[in-house]
Amino acid sequence: MDPNLVQFKKGVLELCVLALLSRSDSYGYDIASRLSDAIDMGEGTIYPLMRRMQKDELVSTYLVESSSGPPRKYYRLTDSGRRSLDVQKSAWNDFTHSVAAILDGQEKTR
Amino acid sequence: MNDRQLFLRRLAAGLKGMPKSSIADIMADYDAHFEAGNAAGRSEADVATALGDPGRLARELRAEVGLRRWEDERSMAAALGVMVGVLGLAALDLFIVLPLLVGVVAALFSFFIVGVGMCLGGGVALPFALIAHFPGFAGDHLQAALLSLGFLSGGASVAAFCALFTIGLINLLARYGRTHYRLITARPSI
Repeated sequence: MDPNLVQFKKGVLELCVLALLSRSDSYGYDIASRLSDAIDMGEGTIYPLMRRMQKDELVSTYLVESSSGPPRKYYRLTDSGRRSLDVQKSAWNDFTHSVAAILDGQEKTR
Repeated sequence: MNDRQLFLRRLAAGLKGMPKSSIADIMADYDAHFEAGNAAGRSEADVATALGDPGRLARELRAEVGLRRWEDERSMAAALGVMVGVLGLAALDLFIVLPLLVGVVAALFSFFIVGVGMCLGGGVALPFALIAHFPGFAGDHLQAALLSLGFLSGGASVAAFCALFTIGLINLLARYGRTHYRLITARPSI
């Protein structure tokens, strides 16, 4: 894959996870497979990211008994995770609008 | 051995040396991933392929731990952890950075040794300068004492400068590791 593309995806992965979790709490496999389908990331890379986000206190975890097998670890957004989502989301929207404008040749002249 | 066991075994091998609780945590995450994959009707081989190279995942996890420790402690061991972690992760890409880094570290080390040596030399010479003449030294006691004092402080500042520079270098390396090697792999690891 184009290294540029890998960098793009890497950069937005955390934002995507925050957005997914803002809609509902979720467990590792679910997050990994949804993001892998949507933006074609290796599923395994979600776990190092989740560990970092947990240490940064953007997410917290709790266990839910499952009917089959061991209890499942669910991730939930913390307050600071929610704030981080807001900040990153608006930054992302501004940025992509600007880039889109440039790509279309209609950038604002200062 | 099936794909799941193979993956978990290789992951565990890569994580060796990390705290036991972290290893258990990580292994449980990936084990649960296989479990959920099974429940969703995927084959173990399929899940293992989608997860990616366990060796590389282990390196990412280890490097992350090293970076974090450096940010928390700023200790010598943590600095080494960053170096080893980032280098291990980046072995491929660092062919350009590595010689440079080795050069800088070697220079830094020798400057540090020289600084410490000067400092020690000045410190040892100072009392002697006050009580006795150095053989072959033309000046008087005061000159000898000032000279020793000069060496002492000069050496100390060289060593201190090296220490500051090292901290800056490690910070830089930590940033480099974070931006370039955090969660990079989009499958087949590059």
